[in-house]
Amino acid sequence: MFKKLLVANRGTIAIRIIRACRELGISTVAVFSTADKNALHVRMADESVCIGPPAAEDSYLNIPAILSAATTFGADAVHPGYGFLSENGDFAEACQRSGLNFVGPRVRHIRLMGDKPRARRIMKRAGVPILPGSEGTGVTELREAQADAKRLGFPVLIKAAAGGGGKGMRVARDGNELTRLFPLAQGESEASFNSRKMYLEKYLERSRHVEFQILADLQRNAIHLGERDCSIQRRHQKVIEESPCPILTTRLREKMGKAAVRAAEVVGYSNVGTVEFLLAGNGAFYFIEMNTRIQVEHGVTEMVTGVDLVKESIRMAMGEPLGLKQRQVKFDGASMEFRIYAEDPERHIPAPGVVTNHHTPGGLGVRVETALYDGYRVPVHYDPLIAKLIVHAQTRAEVIARAKAALREYVIDGIKTNIPLHLKILQDPDFNRGEFSTDFLSRYEPAPSETAQHAPVSKAS
Amino acid sequence: MEVRELKTLLVLMRDYGLVELEMEDKKGKVRLVRGGGRASVDVTEAGSDAHLAARAASPIKMATRHVEATAEEGANVAGKIDLAPNQKLIESPMVGTFYRAASPDAAPFVEEGSSVRKGQPLCIIEAMKMMNEIESPAAGRVIRVLAENGNPIEYGQPLMIIEVI
Repeated sequence: MFKKLLVANRGTIAIRIIRACRELGISTVAVFSTADKNALHVRMADESVCIGPPAAEDSYLNIPAILSAATTFGADAVHPGYGFLSENGDFAEACQRSGLNFVGPRVRHIRLMGDKPRARRIMKRAGVPILPGSEGTGVTELREAQADAKRLGFPVLIKAAAGGGGKGMRVARDGNELTRLFPLAQGESEASFNSRKMYLEKYLERSRHVEFQILADLQRNAIHLGERDCSIQRRHQKVIEESPCPILTTRLREKMGKAAVRAAEVVGYSNVGTVEFLLAGNGAFYFIEMNTRIQVEHGVTEMVTGVDLVKESIRMAMGEPLGLKQRQVKFDGASMEFRIYAEDPERHIPAPGVVTNHHTPGGLGVRVETALYDGYRVPVHYDPLIAKLIVHAQTRAEVIARAKAALREYVIDGIKTNIPLHLKILQDPDFNRGEFSTDFLSRYEPAPSETAQHAPVSKAS
Repeated sequence: MEVRELKTLLVLMRDYGLVELEMEDKKGKVRLVRGGGRASVDVTEAGSDAHLAARAASPIKMATRHVEATAEEGANVAGKIDLAPNQKLIESPMVGTFYRAASPDAAPFVEEGSSVRKGQPLCIIEAMKMMNEIESPAAGRVIRVLAENGNPIEYGQPLMIIEVI
């Protein structure tokens, strides 16, 4: 049993972890940067430690500072949350070496799944379907990419081998675009992941992003908790997620769920994880990648299964066995998550500032995960995700009606948010019918000339 | 120093609106701090510190700054320390454990009142089993040690105040 857990994160997920620890009787240490000294997670934790200046590299990504805080303040476990160091094998390894329990999978699984071409090879061998793409360890030169694209046929998706979070990712529809976009994607990869290794995948038009939640213990038992449809995304950043996927049949769910469990079992995976698939219109599905951490959208799975995934991640890390068998997993109703970003809803530019008036919606099946409060200043240094509205009801139509009411009730004055965009999406006939693919949100994009490419801020998810 | 004398000083401080008073004579050194409804009194007996002689030239010193920080409050109150123009606040550059001496039985690097050279070690922050010496940024005198030996220290926490000469 852990006695004291250090939360190596900030914002909504830090609060989520602190709440889980309270239920489990584990005391908590929050870490924070000087920009976050008034943050809610700092107030809620039993103890808090300032670990560095605002820049994430010097605070939330500063491995020595976090480990020093953990050992100095006597923590015996570290929860990385999502983003920041959550999928950093070096951090997990350093925790182990310092005698700290890392809440997450084993170091080798983080490294394996972080190397996307290698993960593809392993899945292919295990019989999990993958998209046609670059073979071997990936490509670094444009001419290699051009050769791969010729073999695959356009359009192709350029991806970072060490990628994640939609960075270093571009669709190329012809040779000219490939020549133009490959160096761009490679530059992003180098900036974000310090790697020039790229790979190409056949780009699947009009597909959906459907992912399966995995739960696995250290005794090599693995189950899935159903799927989340995350097709509503903007520039590969998810905006709305829901469970169940509105078009998935029971048979296809079973088939995809089995493939996801096999993906986890073949490497001996443990703790929480997510296997992401692309689902084509004809029901064919392809492995994209596995995320070796708790996801932002874990809440929708919690609502439909009743399983507390954050508590489970801590229990699994303590070596406790799964308390649930696959056939005992029951799905109840439908759930959607709306990511609330501090951003200009028209121009999609982060809009930090002071929250002058804050009221969260409530009622049956309405859950808000947020780090906001009256008078809180949203800092400029981090991810603009400021809240998650998670709605649960018996049917998808009921979820949509409840979500509309909740979003209209939501008051966040002083800063701009994307709540107006969510309300527009909820009115959309295709969205209401459940008929959409990952390019759905492009219809709500302003004309390309208006979206001057702004430098992406460091993402926490 | 007797209670009667301390009381007299406290009355004088109130009448002249002083928040901190430090004085020293043959009997020892005293520092009085008023503010926020609490008063703290630090008394050092004469002869306990060799450095006292160095200060004999100005036995009474009136300070206008208001120091409220305690080690426990750390970075959260760092902004409240008002420094005179010739004073420098030494803040911890990292999270770790604060030590005033190189080893448990060694003498502290510095005491309040010690003269220091630029680059002279003031204390140690232990982080990840590494002992990091914190050096004085300037030549001067240590006028306050704000952290407790052996306590956990966070980034930016005030450790000492140095008066630059």
